[in-house]
Amino acid sequence: MATRFKTQDFDPADEVIAIDRLCVELGTAEGGRRVLDEVSLTIRLGETACLVGESGSGKSLTSLAVMGLLPANAIRVTSGSIRLGDTDLLTRSAREIRAMRGSRMSMIFQEPMTALNPVMRVGHQIAEVLEAHGIGSTSERRRRVLDIMAQVHLPDVERVYRSYPHQLSGGQRQRIMIAMALILEPALLIADEPTTALDVTTQQQILGLISELQRVHGTAVLFITHDMGVVSEIADTVHVMRQGRIVESAPAERLFRTPQHDYTKALLDAVPSLHPRQPRPQETRPPVLDVESLGKTYESGGFLKKHVAKRAAEDVTFQLRPGRTLGIVGESGSGKSTVARCVMRLIDPTDGTIRLGDADITRLSPGQLRSRRAKIQIVFQDPYRSLNPRRKIVSSLIEGPINFGLPRNQAIERARTLLETVGLPADALDCYPHQFSGGQRQRIAIARAVAMEPDVIVADEAVSALDVSVQDQVLHLLEDLQRDLGIAILFITHDLRVAAQICDDVIVMQHGKVVEHGTAGDVLVSPRHAYTRALIEAAPGRGWDFAAGREIAREETNA
Amino acid sequence: MLGYIVKRILAVIPVMAIVALIVFLILRLTPGDPAAIIAGDTATPDQIASLRESMGLNEPIYVQFFQWIGQLLHGDLGTSLLSGTSVNALIADRIWPTLNIALLSIVMSVAIAVPLGTLAAWRHGRFGDHVVMAISVAGFSVPAFVVGYVLIKVFAADLRWLPVQGYRAPSQGMGEFLRHAILPAMTLTAAYVALTARMTRASLLNVLGEDYIRTAHAKGVKDVTVLLRHGLRNAAVPILTVVGTGFAMLLSGVVVVESVFNIPGIGRLTIDAVMARDYPVIQGMILLTSGIYVLVNLLIDIAYTVFDPRIRY
Repeated sequence: MATRFKTQDFDPADEVIAIDRLCVELGTAEGGRRVLDEVSLTIRLGETACLVGESGSGKSLTSLAVMGLLPANAIRVTSGSIRLGDTDLLTRSAREIRAMRGSRMSMIFQEPMTALNPVMRVGHQIAEVLEAHGIGSTSERRRRVLDIMAQVHLPDVERVYRSYPHQLSGGQRQRIMIAMALILEPALLIADEPTTALDVTTQQQILGLISELQRVHGTAVLFITHDMGVVSEIADTVHVMRQGRIVESAPAERLFRTPQHDYTKALLDAVPSLHPRQPRPQETRPPVLDVESLGKTYESGGFLKKHVAKRAAEDVTFQLRPGRTLGIVGESGSGKSTVARCVMRLIDPTDGTIRLGDADITRLSPGQLRSRRAKIQIVFQDPYRSLNPRRKIVSSLIEGPINFGLPRNQAIERARTLLETVGLPADALDCYPHQFSGGQRQRIAIARAVAMEPDVIVADEAVSALDVSVQDQVLHLLEDLQRDLGIAILFITHDLRVAAQICDDVIVMQHGKVVEHGTAGDVLVSPRHAYTRALIEAAPGRGWDFAAGREIAREETNA
Repeated sequence: MLGYIVKRILAVIPVMAIVALIVFLILRLTPGDPAAIIAGDTATPDQIASLRESMGLNEPIYVQFFQWIGQLLHGDLGTSLLSGTSVNALIADRIWPTLNIALLSIVMSVAIAVPLGTLAAWRHGRFGDHVVMAISVAGFSVPAFVVGYVLIKVFAADLRWLPVQGYRAPSQGMGEFLRHAILPAMTLTAAYVALTARMTRASLLNVLGEDYIRTAHAKGVKDVTVLLRHGLRNAAVPILTVVGTGFAMLLSGVVVVESVFNIPGIGRLTIDAVMARDYPVIQGMILLTSGIYVLVNLLIDIAYTVFDPRIRY
């Protein structure tokens, strides 16, 4: 399928929202740091405007400023105007703005689990929008809530109405958020990374739902995202933000074909291609990690309770050779992280064997395992939480080697060298994690793993929390380390684009089982299993080569 | 859920059995012959020997234990050495004043502390917050007997609104009960108001930083509603923990207050028993207090599920 950008001309349509030279500063006094600098954008009836940029560029601040939700004691608007229809929002009282929230403008957020009140039934949470705006009697509200729940295609609405958020899936929760945002048919819908936390197939459904409802209600949508794939599928207009400024605004197709600003070009360049890289020559050395028929079954229940067994992973077999990268891809709940944790022996497998080098580590006791631990190391997803915030970088880096008998001064020397290898200055040793950006922290986490001189690194969604340009750098770093040190990498990811760029071989998992296993080229270009095909079809912007600014030729996609 | 409650109640059995064993052993393993201690300094060896016989102290220790447990299972806590009446009767007589005052204290401390803590969280970093925090530091720092005497001085001696001391049961009229119970309850409450208010503030501040609070604002919900409906209920679990353990701790704090206000409760019963080495009464009191601890903890665990539907046992 070729990429088809939206090309509707919105010039004749009415303006729904007009932001004009909006400036926002930190702090309550004059002269705070300017975090939004003359931001201007207009969205017309039925138009979808995408606001793209990396973390810290001011995307979310812009949306919160529109909603009047900036924290009043920390951030203030210094100049500019925001007009919603005929209303100048910045001149209105807090009470008037509150009355417009949820009715004339509404918002959906990234993480539907945390954005819903965990102790309130979701039906009541939607009904609360009506209640807050004094609409309808209790029974009338209930009827309208059930009606909007049907519109967002929730199943069994009566039951869902009475459910709590934790009883619903991620996609269902996001549908609840959308129902909540659209029940009063607002003129403007702001969607702040609404699909980032969702699986690709769910993402596809949610994006489809938003555009369907947009057509029905004529809503103007401000869609905030960092995912260029999503942008290429839904945007009429794209605004690229960087450091609080809009650096480029253009209709979607023009922006993707002929980006003008250097930053836009850099952003597009960094989008990993879905097309696998050139295969590397076969590796013939014996495997460093050999997993056979691995299984993990969780048992629950017991006394006075029904006995339940949940098979989180079942019959997983693979080999990983030195210097190679094996990707495990799948959606949440597919069992990919379970496999990673079993291999690390962070949890105990219930079936199968794991051989690390020449040793069977499947049933080793914690004491016996300890001496083998250095050989297999892990890098976690969230660099903000995987480094101890109260310890200096040097302590985190030398702890492992010292535990394995390296003298302290040599460990420090190694840490210093490693920091330079991962591209950080050696004086970073004496800093704390909060002094670094997300990308830098992930480099530190990688340095920590490498400091143990492992044979295998397990990277569990190690680049998923990073901006694309940083993601690109970290992937290159992993590749360089692998080339220089011959480390084998087990790369767990939900992102097929990332998998295509770093993996030699790929395993696709669904419901705890391996559904496809082959070279990256075979699996991603000519998938055999229906689930793999569905995953690839759902990857947004798959027909477009972002770096080159053109369609991917048909013979390459081979869909 | 029902299965969980049954399981928890069954789990009480081993806990109480261990408590009983410890209570039994403390008495038997303390140096000195209980019979000699009970008989007093002037007793002759013959008198002590016959006392030993009548107390069953000549039996092997495990036989003594099972005899005692057998009694306990019949609900018989033994007989007070001091007064000769049964321990059951003594406790039944004294438990109500203590329980009534403890309950009143808890109700008062929740009624005062939760609004104060909510106010502090709402006005975080501003004047109202500082005032509430100052009050709670004071509540923590001043000992109960000082609070008690100051309250007596002001409300009983100077203003003459309330009686200086004494106790009336609610059955003698709710008004009279409250007139007598309000000062002791306030004395007991001071520290718990401080504790609960701080916990409410901390828990609520945590919750107010959550995403769903932002969602509620984005829906156009009024600030007060956001605070109470979305904030407070999510903040409830830690508050509940403090209130529950507070109730159990009140029962020990009650000793001082019962002395200050001359209330015939179990606090004074315990002190008198300790002074007179009235072992059966002491044993009974330890068992009773641990029983109440276990029961209150069970009730708290069940209450969690009411406030947070995610907690399922």
